[in-house]
Formats: sequence, C-alpha cells, structure tokens
Amino acid sequence: MQLIKITLFLALFLIMTSCYSVRLQVSNGVWDPADNERNDPYAGYNVQTIDTIISRKITTGKHYFNISNCESGALHTVEYRTTFGGLLLNGITLGRKKKVKIKYVCIMENSM
Amino acid sequence: MANTKIDNRTWWDTLHKNGPFDLKLFLTTKMEKSSSGLSDFERYKDAAIEIQRLIQLALDSNERFRAIGSKWSMSSIAHCKDRMHYNAFLNLKFPIFEGEIHPASSYEHNNLFLFQSGNRIKDISRFLERRGKSLKTTGASNGQTIAGCISTGVHGSTIDSGSVQDYVVGLNMITGPNPEDNIYLERESRPALTDTYAKNFATVIIRDDDMFNAVLVGLGSMGFIHGVVVESENLFLLRRYVKKINKKEALQLANTLDFSTYDPKIPDGNFKGVRPFHYKVFINPYNTNETKYGAEFIYKIKYYDNYKLDFGEPIPFQKEFVYLDLIYLFIKIAEKFSKSIPTIINLLKSSILPKEEKTTVGKLSEIFWDAGYQGKAFACSFGVDHTNASKALELMAKVTRENPVPGIFAMRFVKSSEATLAFSKFPFTCMVEIDGIQWKDNDNLISLTDYSTKLIEVLKNNNIPFTIHWGKNANWKFPGLINHMYGKNVKKWKKIRAKLLSIPMQEVFSNSFLDSTKLSEPLAIDEDLIV
Repeated sequence: MQLIKITLFLALFLIMTSCYSVRLQVSNGVWDPADNERNDPYAGYNVQTIDTIISRKITTGKHYFNISNCESGALHTVEYRTTFGGLLLNGITLGRKKKVKIKYVCIMENSM
Repeated sequence: MANTKIDNRTWWDTLHKNGPFDLKLFLTTKMEKSSSGLSDFERYKDAAIEIQRLIQLALDSNERFRAIGSKWSMSSIAHCKDRMHYNAFLNLKFPIFEGEIHPASSYEHNNLFLFQSGNRIKDISRFLERRGKSLKTTGASNGQTIAGCISTGVHGSTIDSGSVQDYVVGLNMITGPNPEDNIYLERESRPALTDTYAKNFATVIIRDDDMFNAVLVGLGSMGFIHGVVVESENLFLLRRYVKKINKKEALQLANTLDFSTYDPKIPDGNFKGVRPFHYKVFINPYNTNETKYGAEFIYKIKYYDNYKLDFGEPIPFQKEFVYLDLIYLFIKIAEKFSKSIPTIINLLKSSILPKEEKTTVGKLSEIFWDAGYQGKAFACSFGVDHTNASKALELMAKVTRENPVPGIFAMRFVKSSEATLAFSKFPFTCMVEIDGIQWKDNDNLISLTDYSTKLIEVLKNNNIPFTIHWGKNANWKFPGLINHMYGKNVKKWKKIRAKLLSIPMQEVFSNSFLDSTKLSEPLAIDEDLIV
C-alpha cells in the first residue's frame, strides 16, 4: 500500500511538473555573456528568470512585464515555460491565477 | 573608471566541461559606461590602466594571471590556478581612417579595424557587415573572442585564407604594470598604423616581424592582448553543398588539393574545376565498408543583397538538437560495452553530420553560425601536411577501431601561417580531427590521455610530421612533444617571450599548460646566444 502511495505521489509530481517550453532567439544578435558552469543551452549566457504567479482581477488583464536590466535595451532570447501544474492552477482558479516562468537573455551592450 | 569584480572561486571549467580545474580568483572587468561622456579611446585607455592594476596585484601576490575569452578550448590552455580574467566585456570597436594608415602600408584603411580583445567573432561580424565588410575566415562557429582565437590558432577549412591569426596585422599588448608595458606591435615588413594613431592607446611602438609572428599565436603567455587590428575584406557570399562522394575521390582531393578537373556536380551551379573556399570530409572510423564519404564544398561567390530571395534563409527557422540526456545514456552504454560504440555512432550519424544534398547560401557569419551547446565534448585534432592526409587518417582511424572512443573524424584544410607556433605550419595543413562526447575512464574503455598518446605514437612511428591544435585534447605531457612538433621555432618563441616579458612577468603569464609543455622554462644562457 505504501509503495502504491509513493508511486502515485511520484506520478502526480511528474505530471504536475512536466512541461514544455518555447524558446525564441534572434539569429543575428550577440548574447550577454556570463562565465557560468551551466550544462544546458544557456552555458555561457547571462540568463535572467521571471518566476511568479500573477493574479488577474475581474476588471483588469493583459499583464506585461517591464524588463529594466537589459543595458542594451534589447532581448536576445526569450523562453516561455508552461507546466501541467501551471495549467491546472489556471483552470481551477478560472483564469484568475496564472503561473509565469520566463527566461530571457539580453543583447550585449556595445554590440549593436 | 573601469571596475573589476573579484569573485572567490574554488574551481573553473571549460565550456565543454573538460575540467574541473582549481581556481582562486575570478576577475571580471567592466568598462566605464558609454553614457559617461568619455570617448571610446578614453574608455579603452581606462580599461588598460585597470588591467595593469590587476597585473600589479598578481605580481605583488606572487600569483599567475591569465586572460580568458569564451573558454571554448578543451585543453587546459586557458586555465590558471590563481587569477583568471574574463575578457568578454572588453568589446570596443574602432574603424581606421585614411590618415591613420602608415605611409609605407599596403593595407586599405577601410579594411582595417581595431577590436578590443573581448569582442566575439559574432559581434565583429555584425559590426563589419554593417560596413559592407567581412572577416576572411572564422572557426566553425562564432562564439570565440578574437584574442582567444588568435592565441590558440582557431581555424576553419578555408584552404587559401589560413587561420584567424593570419589576418591580424597589429596587436596591442600589455606586458606588465608600468606605462612602458603598453605596447603596439606590428610587422616591420607590413606596417599598418601611423605612430600618431597607435599613440592613442599604446606607449611604446614596436615594428618587428619575428616578434609579431611569435606573439601572434602566443598561447595567452605573451602578455595581455588588449587590442587586435584586423584586416577585413568586402562582403562575400558562400555557397555550401554537402554530398556523399566516392571515398577514393575524397581522399585524392585531400592529398592533392587539386580541384582543377574535379566536378562536384552541384545542382544549378557549375563549379567544375573551381577551387573551393572550403573543403571538409567526414569519416566514420568504424565503418570500414564505407565506399563514400560525406564531403562539404563551399564556394565563394559575389555578394548581392537579395540572395535570400533566390536561396532562402541560410539560418534554419527551427533548430533542433539531439537530447543531451540521450547522448549521455548512449555514452553510459558505451562505457559498459565498448563494442557498442560503432552501433551508437551509426545511430547518431544522421544527427551529427550535416544534411546532405541541400544548397545553402549566406554570408560567412551565416554559414558558420551559432553552435548549439554540445555537452561534455572532447576533440583530438592533429595537423599534417595535406599530402599525408589519407595516410594519417588511415593510421588514426585504425588506432580508433582498436581502441574505440565515441567520436567521428573529419578533415579540414588550412593554408600555412606565419605565426611561429602555429599548428598550421605546413604549406597546406590537413587537420585530422576526431570530435565526440566525453566518457569516464574505466576498464572497458581507453582513457582520453592514453588514446591521444596512441595517436601521437602512431604518427611518430610512421614518420609523419604533425602538430596538435593548442585548444584540443592531447597528452600534452608526452616527452619532447613540443620540440618534436616545432623544432627550432620553440627556441625562437621562447627568446621573443624573454625579450618581451621580464622574468617576473614571464611567471605571471605562465600556467600549468605552459609548464607541462616546458614552454615556460627559460632558455639556458648558451641556447639564448645561439638562437
């Protein structure tokens, strides 16, 4: 019984965190560099993350986020990530709460 | 004022995770902002003063100091255990105007540009393209810094253009903490800039062919490269086509580089008898029955604005990569069962090798575009005279079949370089290279050091003169390796280093790679006199 519970919990955890992400990148821009030790496509990129839950009121919507830490004023990469858990939250709250996870990389200053 | 962030670290690694290596301090210098009201030259000079301050700090602490770029090298050439300086934010760029060219110069002013050392190839290409110019050649991608490229001899397969260092015509070197240690160096036989212009950023001007050639591929050990004067050319297009060709034919072309009667039969294009800009051959060492090799032909054509209307986008809209986890899983299998390697290579072949029978046309920066992160990679890359290309390949492939490792071979071709320690030292050097994914040493699989030792031995035993790419994996401690590869040029290089750097500064600009290769050892007094 204990094993079944653990298995179910693990399966639920995996389903909730399973995700897909869409990554957009400009082909002719120079990314903001960083000497990081990442093991993913962002190795060598200075990656910033927005990870939050936004609440919509009945009378407002169309949120956008102001990015103020790109010294060049331009974006090189944007990755939008959706998890099953995030979709579920949105459904349960009838669209009032939305999990947002965005990664972005700025264009390097002095490169444009 | 330029300022430097100093981080305490315990380790550092290359982009392809060939370490980790010990480290004490990681230094990142950022320049004064462009909004400061300073001119670009003032910002450049301000950065030089900051670099000299950092060198003084290293000297005072009896520690070593090393500049790094994008850390693409897989050998430990970029590493230094004490203080590593991240150059990526030093990216100023200067066009050279008519009155700034040396009166005896044969260079056209509008082809020359001064780039600060941290400029990456992609950044430089963008800057040049907006002025109707292009680099002459790059490596297979664009993420390396210009100083990193020249210090290690980065090359493509541009048969008649050489490596990145071969279009460098001037260097701004910082060789110590004092004002007179800020040097502008160029060839005496081919001067580029007026003294007045060079005095904008350097205190001392040296025109000396031997010194320039030695410093060019300086392995990060001739001082801090602060600026690089590059000769560009007018924008051009490249037409790329990959196809399978008869193995015998591919090797014949490699051994002779004679394309005068060869017809690559590229659709909608007549390139019969045309010498390609770039020629590359791909070889799966585990398939001895292969009768055809993949060959990449790239031809240089005149630039015109609407090429994308005729040929489409050279950069794919959607770029796909093999899952790294999948590759690592295959490697785990290979570690347990070395006999599975040929099967794994065959499975991954279509993902590793370029798509065949597809014409792509684009600028140099579009054809050699961003490389995706490849994970924990290794590469062993040997330079041989192109007339020995097929023989060297055969011997190295045989070693690989006897000691399987997860990688495939390629052959690229580069014109001779004037740099004293350039691995492209033969009239036309064929770089025979095996690239692949790292594995863990175990009883089933040979270690990378032992594998590269076997490659060195097989070429030595068969009397094939060779060199090794400074930025690639090898047993760099192999006895007498550097002298075997470069002969009397080693003394020449050391002598110039001793001339340029004081003894304490030679120590500051050394690292364990230089120690292993004995290049940090000073010349004996009698040797010094003979050279």
